[in-house]
Amino acid sequence: MKIEMELNGRAVTHEIDPGANLLSVLRGMGQFSVKLGCETGDCGSCTVLLDGEPVNSCVVAAARTHSHKVTTLEGLLGDPLMKELQQELVDKGAVQCGYCSPGILISLYAHFRAGNELTDHHLREALTGNLCRCTGYVKPLEAALTVAQNQQGGPDEQGGAS
Amino acid sequence: MWELKEYRFAATAQEAGALRRQGPGKGAYIAGGTDMYLQPVDCDFVVDINNAGLSDIARTPAGDLFLGAATTLHNIATNPLVADFAEGMLIQAASHCGNRPVRSTATVGGNLCHALPSADMAPVLLALDATCYIADEESQESVPLADFFVSPRVTVLDDRLLVGLALPAEAATRRCASYKLTRSAEDISLVQVVVALGVENGKIETARIALGAVAPVPMRAVLAEAQLVGQSVADISLDLVADAAAIAAGECEPRDDHRASAEYRRDMVRVLTRRQIMKALHDETTITKDSGGTVA
Amino acid sequence: MSASKNRHAVGHNVEKVDAFKLARGEAVYTDDITRPGMLTAKVLRSPHAHARIVKVDVSAAMALEGVADVIWHEDVKAIAHTRAGQSYPEPSPYDTVIMPHKARFIGDRVAVVAADTAAIAEKALKLIEVQYEILPAICDMDEALERTDVLVHEEADPLGIGGGGKSNVAAHIDKQVGDVDAALKTCDLVVERVYHLPRVQASHIEPHISIAWVDEDRRLIVRTSTQVPFHLRRILARILEMSESQIRVIKPRVGGGFGDKQEMVVEDLVSVLALRTGRPVRLEFTRAEELIAARYRHPQRITMTTGVMKDGTMVANRMHVMADTGAYGSHALTVQGNTGQKVMPMYPAPNIHFLVDCVYTNNPISGAFRGYGAPQGCFALESHMDEVARELGMDRLELRLKNHIRLGDTDPLSAKLGEGREGLARVVRSTGLDEAIVQGCEAIGWGQEKKPSAPHLKRGVGMALAMQGSGIAGVDWGAATVKLNDDGSVNLAVGATDIGQGSDTILAQFCAEELGIPTEKVLVLSSDTDLTPFDVGAYASSTTYVSGGAVVKAAIKVREQLAEVLGSTWECKAGEIIFADSKATGPGGKSMTMAEVAMFALYDAKIQPMATASHMSNESPPPFAAQFADVEVDPETGQVEVLKIVSAVDCGTVVHPRLAQGQVEGAVAQALGYALFEEVLLDRSGKVLNPNFLDYKIASALDVPPMVTILVETDEPTGPHGAKAAGEVPIDGPAPAIVNAICDAVGVRNYRIPATPERVWRGIKEATQE
Repeated sequence: MKIEMELNGRAVTHEIDPGANLLSVLRGMGQFSVKLGCETGDCGSCTVLLDGEPVNSCVVAAARTHSHKVTTLEGLLGDPLMKELQQELVDKGAVQCGYCSPGILISLYAHFRAGNELTDHHLREALTGNLCRCTGYVKPLEAALTVAQNQQGGPDEQGGAS
Repeated sequence: MWELKEYRFAATAQEAGALRRQGPGKGAYIAGGTDMYLQPVDCDFVVDINNAGLSDIARTPAGDLFLGAATTLHNIATNPLVADFAEGMLIQAASHCGNRPVRSTATVGGNLCHALPSADMAPVLLALDATCYIADEESQESVPLADFFVSPRVTVLDDRLLVGLALPAEAATRRCASYKLTRSAEDISLVQVVVALGVENGKIETARIALGAVAPVPMRAVLAEAQLVGQSVADISLDLVADAAAIAAGECEPRDDHRASAEYRRDMVRVLTRRQIMKALHDETTITKDSGGTVA
Repeated sequence: MSASKNRHAVGHNVEKVDAFKLARGEAVYTDDITRPGMLTAKVLRSPHAHARIVKVDVSAAMALEGVADVIWHEDVKAIAHTRAGQSYPEPSPYDTVIMPHKARFIGDRVAVVAADTAAIAEKALKLIEVQYEILPAICDMDEALERTDVLVHEEADPLGIGGGGKSNVAAHIDKQVGDVDAALKTCDLVVERVYHLPRVQASHIEPHISIAWVDEDRRLIVRTSTQVPFHLRRILARILEMSESQIRVIKPRVGGGFGDKQEMVVEDLVSVLALRTGRPVRLEFTRAEELIAARYRHPQRITMTTGVMKDGTMVANRMHVMADTGAYGSHALTVQGNTGQKVMPMYPAPNIHFLVDCVYTNNPISGAFRGYGAPQGCFALESHMDEVARELGMDRLELRLKNHIRLGDTDPLSAKLGEGREGLARVVRSTGLDEAIVQGCEAIGWGQEKKPSAPHLKRGVGMALAMQGSGIAGVDWGAATVKLNDDGSVNLAVGATDIGQGSDTILAQFCAEELGIPTEKVLVLSSDTDLTPFDVGAYASSTTYVSGGAVVKAAIKVREQLAEVLGSTWECKAGEIIFADSKATGPGGKSMTMAEVAMFALYDAKIQPMATASHMSNESPPPFAAQFADVEVDPETGQVEVLKIVSAVDCGTVVHPRLAQGQVEGAVAQALGYALFEEVLLDRSGKVLNPNFLDYKIASALDVPPMVTILVETDEPTGPHGAKAAGEVPIDGPAPAIVNAICDAVGVRNYRIPATPERVWRGIKEATQE
């Protein structure tokens, strides 16, 4: 079947199998930040935004993105918030093998953009869907808290959606 | 790989029914789909109900709460209309169901229709006397949630569609407490206990004790509930509460599986029911730190 | 210590060399390429724990459109080998062939399909008809040891390690220092306990994935997520009857390995299929396959028998390990060897006896997993130390302080054991253990009264000491090539295998340090058997210590070449020239930037400054850790909340503080799962009950407690810039520390982990009933 979705701000038309998951379709479209880890919605390495909300693309039907917006990390590389998150992740040593990093970045990005609370606990909750086997989450959380402090420090930036 | 011949979109509940009946072959409804990718349903086509107008949350003027079946768990967990209903119990249940990305697409209807003994939304909805609205093209029917589950993975639906759930205004003021016992922070429940008490003039008028993962289907411990009705909130004895909890433990029908033994589950029903009753009664002295107690 | 040594690269939090491309989600992992005509392979797995594969009818599968090839044992020559990625000759039994004639566990390979798409391959699997002759299966360790009428392996092991053909023994060790039986009779107190360790899985988030193709020179190219590219090339050459020159193994970025990729898990299959079809072939494990057909930490039952005097002096210590290697014996001897060798020397009693019975069963396969036997041994020994202290009526910290290994001590067990054969004695030339204990106690608040956060909860603290190694003494070695470019940058090519731990960065820091250039001027290439020199790979905590030594040597050689060139033009001795701040400085104010030096060498002197060096160490200096846990237990439900974990780790000079901390923190999170919730469950027939992350729980962000990580620096005289290893030692201590803390809280010990709520609850209940 043919679907039309808005991928990273651009309308794209794609031929898919009706049962295909979004993960396989996105990788087929060259979105390599979207990683396969479990295909059961448990690990989060395939996290993308569907209409702005984080989803596990392995358990989302590609077909349902017809007429909807899908955003991958590739589509956010120029975004200032994403750049800041990436920089802090790198600076704090939160990127070890890096396989979970795109998913972590997407989840944090969505959490920040939604204007959610930015406490340690809330950031941990935001990351429950992203399993990381390398870092023990200490450095990713440290990076996220640093960005949170920066955001809260800025007069207009606090949790603001742009 | 999920082999589907066709993926159809329904714009209304009626259209959903029509599209499913249309064939050819076997059809199924799909909303979030998160469970359907774990164990692909054997069907030829699916009918997507995400845009069928079934995703609303509303309060009627009388105060009843209506949840569309395709409402995502994330929407429930963040919706202000839900926040002050029954002390935020629905928010608590929804926000402990799966992980954050799963909650973006997984729906309350899907959680119930999948009909697992451990369905995370079932106990709280049972405790708040939810009614299921079921439809096909010709008819509409409402069924108490307590009668909705038949056996593991089987409901009364057959080919019909769960449209939504209604919670009576009366349930909105119940005093509630719930606990989901798990192996790790984000996990399927080993035991879930929800207590909801309707209190009037210092007396327990209605009592609901709903249990998850301890019987073939989510259940209410009606004998234990009966123990509590008529009791004075101020004078209720710890022994009576403990008795009620023990009765609940006797009512459940847990089984051994790789997650926990029946023996453990039964004892946890006893412990957690006692604690949730005390917590619902707002007894701060006898309780219990509760990791499920924070409202997201 | 190191910071004061005025190093500009080593000891600093430089930017991890690959971090940004990973954070941008670039296409850098094995699966992030496509090749024209690429096939996807899927494996048909045995539903029987033990069954002869009599006949496989592939005709219907082959007839399916889009299927390119189907193989089973009749199609592939059976050459006995081990899939363990170890140095040659491997100390693991040669008990494996590419396609087995009998299935030895539920999940063993029966046939493999290569098809145009994964969907077609899966459909084809369903069309394969297999005729099995079902055999009695043995899934219990004790039964496996006793019985000889049912043999998991009927062929003799050509190496003589496994008992194939005679028994189900995969490895046996019996080594003694002194005489434990005699010494036990002289002790004031003898404590014997039995500890049970679960089957757990590495659960790297990137699954096993390999892509193989035949290139235009008819060479086999294998792009794969591995920790051991060079071992892999050697093993592939042998079992495919090719020469190494015909094979190239490319290791791109790897999404975690933790030992599970120190093994040829899928590479042989894609290679065979690519050679047969002439097309590129890709095989990626599903998560279920990871949890069924990859490798586990060996489940063990450990009996500790310890004799002490009244004052706490340990006189005799025996560890008897009973282990289940499952259907194949890769790493069976060496993992179990490590269980004693890396652990028992912590308390160097005059009489030590270490005994192993590691058996084959018809269960899925155990193998290498970070810690490599030591987490099991450490759990038993450090739980046991608390038990001994309790029986003695002695403080558990005091008992440890009285007996632990000290600077200058020799570890005699290492000499007896080695890597599967006689090894080298180990002398402790650096230790920060005492300091780690002091700082760790301080951070956890040892000895302070701790109140539970609610009246119905119990609070407790626990500790454990751990030591590991830095590479395998006399066995592990690696090489590095350093080449200077026009602009003063260098290429550093290493066979050492960065699998996410950050070794490329560590090695770049060593190189930069020696050449006096910034780390970002070092361009690291790891690892490609065509382009980089040899290295044994990423395992045994070897890369910083062993491969780092090679990088230091190679960089010094290049520096000497440059000094030579400059000395002749500056008319000074080479030794008078200093390389620092990206400059070469000679006597009399002569100075050139590194770029100028490079241009001079390349275009005036006309030499390519370049060197390769190899490094091996006859020592394996132990890194040390003192780890502490503060827990709260709900006695009515058995739930345990870990409030804090403190890890004080001596890894020698800290080359990169954040990466070292990251190694500790990640290890603690893995060990937390080991202690509390991770376990691959099998039913009686050997079937995995929880092959998914829904039921095989690994720690999420909400599970990990606050962690305090303290790096206690020492200066290891045999290490590059004083460095030792950091990757494995911190995974050993948290599990016993947590369980000791639970026992401290509720007075009941968990002899079996994970200490799930139900196990803790049951323990308390049984203790109350007694």
